[in-house]
Amino acid sequence: MFLPILAVALPGLFWEQGPETAEALKKAGVECIHVASAKLDAWKRAGFCATAADLSSYEKLAQPGVEYRTDVASATRAPWVISNAWRLLRARAKPVYYDAGKGRAELCAAEAFAYGASALVGIDPADLDRFGDMLRFLKRLDSAALPVRANIGFMDDGSPEAGEVMNLFTRRNLLFRIVSAPDPSLDLNIRLGAPEYPRPAAANPSEFASMVRRKLTDDKRLLRIYGSDVVIGRLTGDGSRVRLHLLNYGGKTVEGLRVRLLGHYPSAKLSTPGSDAAVSDLATAGGATEFSIPSLDTYAVVDLR
Amino acid sequence: MPAAAAALPDTPKYHVVSAFQPKARPGMPGPYPGSVISVKAEKSIDPETEKVDAAVVAEMVRRGMTALTGEPAARDAWRKLFSPSDVVGIKVNCSGAPGICSHPVVVAEIVRNLVSIDVKPAQIYIYERFKNQMDEVRYDRYVPQGVNVVAVETTRSQIGNYDPRTYVEVDFFGEEDTRSNLVKLVSERFTKIINVPNMKDHGAAGVTGCLKNIAYGDFSNVARSHRNEKTNTLSFIGTLAMVEPLRSITTLQVMDGLRGVWHGGPFSPTRKFRFYPKQMMFGTDPVAMDRLLIDIIDNKRKAEGANSVWDRTHVKPGRGYGDDPNIQRFIREPGHIEYCSKLGLGLYDRGKIQLKEIQL
Repeated sequence: MFLPILAVALPGLFWEQGPETAEALKKAGVECIHVASAKLDAWKRAGFCATAADLSSYEKLAQPGVEYRTDVASATRAPWVISNAWRLLRARAKPVYYDAGKGRAELCAAEAFAYGASALVGIDPADLDRFGDMLRFLKRLDSAALPVRANIGFMDDGSPEAGEVMNLFTRRNLLFRIVSAPDPSLDLNIRLGAPEYPRPAAANPSEFASMVRRKLTDDKRLLRIYGSDVVIGRLTGDGSRVRLHLLNYGGKTVEGLRVRLLGHYPSAKLSTPGSDAAVSDLATAGGATEFSIPSLDTYAVVDLR
Repeated sequence: MPAAAAALPDTPKYHVVSAFQPKARPGMPGPYPGSVISVKAEKSIDPETEKVDAAVVAEMVRRGMTALTGEPAARDAWRKLFSPSDVVGIKVNCSGAPGICSHPVVVAEIVRNLVSIDVKPAQIYIYERFKNQMDEVRYDRYVPQGVNVVAVETTRSQIGNYDPRTYVEVDFFGEEDTRSNLVKLVSERFTKIINVPNMKDHGAAGVTGCLKNIAYGDFSNVARSHRNEKTNTLSFIGTLAMVEPLRSITTLQVMDGLRGVWHGGPFSPTRKFRFYPKQMMFGTDPVAMDRLLIDIIDNKRKAEGANSVWDRTHVKPGRGYGDDPNIQRFIREPGHIEYCSKLGLGLYDRGKIQLKEIQL
C-alpha cells in the first residue's frame, strides 16, 4: 500500500522591496529571497541570495484566517475558517503563492509548511521580523518526513463540489487524504457519485461533512480538538511516533486547547515559535492520548511517541 | 403540574467524566431538603433608584440563616455549614449586569459572615464565567481586601481555566466541540460553594435560579445546547449540576430576589421587564427553591398579561422576544427543575416543600 509522505519544505519569501532592504532581511534572519525577474540583477549586485520567480506559474491562495459572519444564518455557530489546506492537497507538488496581507505572514508560512507545500509568501514589510522568526522555527524542527495519517480516503475528481467537501473536512478536523482508489486500511473511502455519497448531497458541504462524521463516529477519529473552532490539525506519523501540526486561524491566542489523539503516546514534546513550553495534563487511557496546549498563538508542533 | 413538565423528550446521550467521588451527604440537596426560608423586606431596595439598603440586607441574611439552621445566633448558623479551613467559592450571576446581578451588597454581606467565623478573605472567591459581565459589577469595591474576585474566561471561549479532566461530553446538534468542562477552581481549590442566583425568567430554561446558575455557570461551552427554537436545558442543567465535585461542595443557596426579571432573561438591558420581589430565599435544596421561583416568575408574567413559562407555542426565532413578552425565542424548558429532582438534587413536589416566610 502506498502511503503519501508529507514532504518537508520551507516556504520562501517573495520580496518586492529593493536591495536597500537587505540589512532588514539579514536582521530578520532571512538569507535568501525570491524576487521578480526584473529585480534579480539588482539583488545579485548587492550580494544577496536571490532567485527569480514568475508568479504567473504559481497557484494563488487565499489569505488564511477567520471571518465572523454574524449576519449570515447558518447551521452552526462556528466561525468561517479560511484555510488553504484542501487547495494545497489538491495542488500536490504544484507551487503556490500567498499574498499574505498585513499580519498573516506567519500563518501563511506555517500553513504551507504543515501541508508540505512548495510555497512562496509575499508579505507586508512590517511583518518581516515575525516572518523571519517563523522561518527560524520551521528550520529547527526535526524535518523527518512522515506518512500522512487519516481516517478518510477521498477520491478527488477535481470538481468544485469535491473541493468544498475537502474544505469542510479540513475545517472540522475530519482527517483525510486524497486517494486514487479505495484504501482498505482507512475507515471510510469516499467518492462523490457513489451510491452512499451521491453528488447532490455535496451541494451542502457542511451537511455532507456532518453525515461523514456520523458514519465515521467520533470514537474512531484519529484527532479531536476541544476548546476552539478555529484550530486545524494535521497529523503525520508512523508506527512509533506521530507529529501533530496545530494551526490557529483565529488571530488570537488560544488558551487550554485540549487535544485527543487515537493511540497510546506517553511522551509528548511541544514546539512553538515563541518558547517550548510543555504540554499539560497528558493522559493516556482507553486507547487514546489527551493533552492540553497551555497557550497556542499561530502554530505549534507536538511530537508524540 | 402542567402536563408539559412531565413529558420528557429523548434525552441526549451524556458521557460524564470525573475522577471525584460524591460525599456521603452531597451539598445538594444538603442537610435541609425541601426547606426554603423566604425573607421579605419592603425597605430592602428602592424601586425608583434601585438603591439597596445594606442594613436591611444584613438583617435579611441573619434572619434567613438562623431560620434555616435553627441556630439563634448568626455566627452559629454560618458555622453549621462552614468552617475556618474552608475555601469558599461564591458563584454569582452577572449575565444581566448591570441591570440585574447577584447584588454586591448581598455578596458583601455573605463575605462578612464568612469572615466573622474566621474564614480568611484570601480563602473566599467571588467568581463568574465572563470577565466583561463581572467587570460591570465591581465586587471588589464592596468586599475586604484579600477577597478574590475571579472571572474564569478573561477572553470569551478560552478554556484554560477549566479542568480538562472533568467534563460532560455530549453532541447536541452536530457541533464539533462536544465537551463542557468544569471550572478548575471548583475541582482544584474550593471546598464549599455558595450559590447566589437571581429571580429571573430565562428564554431557554424557563427560569434561571439556583440550578441554572450552578450548572451553566460552572462549565464551559454550554450555549451550544440551544439552537433555533430547540434547547436542551431540560436535561443538561441537571446533568451538569450532578457532576462531582460540584454537587457535593455546593453547600448553600442564597437567592437574591431584591430585583427580578420577568421577561427577556437572563439579560436585562432595559428596566421594562424588571420587577422588585424585595425578597431573598435561603436553603440547601436548589430544586425546592427553583420550584418556588417558577411560581414567582409565572405569576408576575400572568399579572403583566404575558404567556406562561410553560407555554410551548409562541416561539419566534429572532429578536422580537426582546420587546414582546408574548414571544419567546426558544421553547422554554422549566421542566428542568423537576428533571433535577429525579436525579436526586432536591424536592420538586410543592406539597412537600416547607416554605417559611419571614416579613421584616
